[in-house]
Order: sequence, then C-alpha cells, then structure tokens
Amino acid sequence: MAVQHALNGLNDSPTVLVEGILRSGQSVSFEGNVVILGDVNPGAQVTAGGNVVVMGVLRGTVHAGAAGNEQAVIVAFRLRPTQLRIANYIARSPDGEVFNPNQPEIARVRDGIVVIEAFPPSGERQGKK
Amino acid sequence: MSEVIVVTSGKGGVGKTTVTANIGCGLAMLGYKVVLVDADTGLRNLDVVLGMENRIVFDLTDVIEEKCRLRQALIKDRRFEELFLLPTAQTKDKSAVTPKDMQNICSQLREHFDYVIVDSPAGIEQGFQSAVAGVEKAIVVTVPEVAAVRDADRVVGLLEAKAEIRDPKLIINRLRMQMVQRGDMMTLEDMHDILGLELLGVIPDDEQVVIATNRGDPIVINENSLSGRAFKDIVRRMLGEPVPLMNLENGEGFFNRLRRIIGLG
Repeated sequence: MAVQHALNGLNDSPTVLVEGILRSGQSVSFEGNVVILGDVNPGAQVTAGGNVVVMGVLRGTVHAGAAGNEQAVIVAFRLRPTQLRIANYIARSPDGEVFNPNQPEIARVRDGIVVIEAFPPSGERQGKK
Repeated sequence: MSEVIVVTSGKGGVGKTTVTANIGCGLAMLGYKVVLVDADTGLRNLDVVLGMENRIVFDLTDVIEEKCRLRQALIKDRRFEELFLLPTAQTKDKSAVTPKDMQNICSQLREHFDYVIVDSPAGIEQGFQSAVAGVEKAIVVTVPEVAAVRDADRVVGLLEAKAEIRDPKLIINRLRMQMVQRGDMMTLEDMHDILGLELLGVIPDDEQVVIATNRGDPIVINENSLSGRAFKDIVRRMLGEPVPLMNLENGEGFFNRLRRIIGLG
C-alpha cells in the first residue's frame, strides 16, 4: 500500500490532529506527526518532528522532520506551499509561472533535494477509471 | 555616509510598505546598497510586496534571539544585486522586538549599507516605538484624506517627542488630480497648511501600482507608468537633486479635459 510505504517507520509516532484553517500568523508545532484537517494559508507555519499531512490546500510553510529526520514526508491534497522544509533541506516555490496539478502530492528528500511527486504515485489510474 | 530612515504614517493602509519597497528598489537601481527592514512583526507585508516571501528562513526575531547571525537573515533581491530585505516574524507579536533591539540592529546594518529603510507598522504603540528607535530620519506617508492627515500630524509630533527626529519629509500617496480639480479632494496646499513638512513627492492614484504590488514587482521598475516615474523623482530628491513636481494633470485624459472645457466636469 502506497500510504504505508510513504510513511514507513513513522507510523508509531504520536500524532496531533488540527481541525480548521491555519491562518496567517498561526503556527502548530509538535514533536510527532501533524495532520491538518483544513487549509494552511500563506504566513502560517507547521513544524513537526515527523510527517505532516494537510487535508486541504497547503499554501504556507511546513517543516517536517524538524529534529533532523530526513525520512519525513509532507503530503497535501493540494501542495502550493510558500516553502517546504524537511530536516535540514529547504525548498521554495518557484518565481513566476507554476505548474499546479489538481491532485494530492507528496514531498520528500531524495538524493539531497526535496522532490515533489503525485500521491498516491499511481495517480494516472484514477483518471482513467 | 549611510542614512537610516523610517517610513511611517500613523494610519494604516496609506502605502507605507509600497513606498518603502519602491524607494528601496529605486535607490538600488541607481547602484546604492540598500537594506529594507520590516518592523511590522506579526503583520509583515514587505516580503510579499517584494516577491521574497518564499525565501524567508530566518528573520529579525531570530537575530534578536541569537538563533542566527544578522547576515543569515538578510535576503538578497532577485532583481538588484545591492538590495536586501530583513524580514520580521509573522507568527510572533510586536513584543518580540524592543526599541533597544532595533537600535542594535540598525547600527549594525548601517556599517554595511548606504541606506537602511525601516517600514514601520501602523499605529503609535510598541511597534512604532521600536521602528523609530534606531533611525535618524523619517518619511511620513499620507493620503489626501482628513483622517490620514490628522494621523500623520500626530505621528510628526511623536517623532519629535519620542525619537528626536525633526523635519520629516512628506510623501502624499494616491492623489486624484481630477478630484482635486473638482474641489472634492484635499489639495497639496491644504495638506501643507496643516503639516508644514517639506514635500518629497506626490504619487498619483494608479491602478498599475496595485497590479505591480500584487505581482511582487515594485512599480518603480516600470518605466512607462506615471506612478513609477513619481517614485523615481522621489528617489532623486532624496539624493538631493532639485526635481520639480510632476505635472499630474497630464494624466487627465482627453475626454475629461473636454468635459471640463465644455463645463460638464
């Protein structure tokens, strides 16, 4: 299963659920995983020791694996972040035109850079059925 | 010889941040080394107006808490080599920055830059007090409205009383010449009568400013816009050049001029 694979090894961490829109200036910080049941707006910040899942639009800044865990991932229904940080890696949104696929995506560190991919990986199957 | 200048207004929404961004870019376009300091902790905007929001890693409060060095918090502009931003935090409030902190930061920055320009928050409370603590000159921004001019007057008094900043320069933003000509808007003379400040410049009301600001590109970069030229003139006046005030009536347009001539305006 794609979900278990992506979050491998971090399933047992304590997880906090945040319900509602995280607005500019608001922040959530937790040592385990963070799940946001809503959007994360520009200017809002989420910091987690583990993974971050946003069940909404992620437009703000998220730091996963903040204590140095490079395996941590960031998943969002719509990934439009100002900035993504995983462990000590930082990625920012490009300037100018951006390709914004209308599907959930996952960000993780691969070979020293933050990579964003469709989530689940077999995204095209959804479209065909 | 570097200058440390605060841009302030008392009233919110008159264009402090827009003015700061445009003056900063204008000076950098002429080759000066400029750092813009956002003092509006918790309601920061300067990063957005400059299109730098996605580059912020450390901010002013991190420097104060010694989580990073000052140099690490400075963000270089992507257009101008010599333009830098010192952003502040969005997830904290004004108590994170004391007047003493700002004095400290400004005195460090002035060692390395020709111009240190501080974007003050609206209001006259803690955030304003911190913003003006480390500066020696001030630019007061107002719009041609009674409430904004009243607040500007209040701020001029406070600058003198609290920070010993005398003779701030005035920028009048969003002037609508047609309304002034109809007698529906305060004139430059009206505002000068009340404030008695040296006029650094007048920015016409221009929708191009909104478009440019939303894109993260200050209007001063745009050679063709009237307001961009107005900002360029302001920058030159800051450098001591005697630039006459632009004739804003030229922007009036043929039909309005015609209406006025035949007595409909």
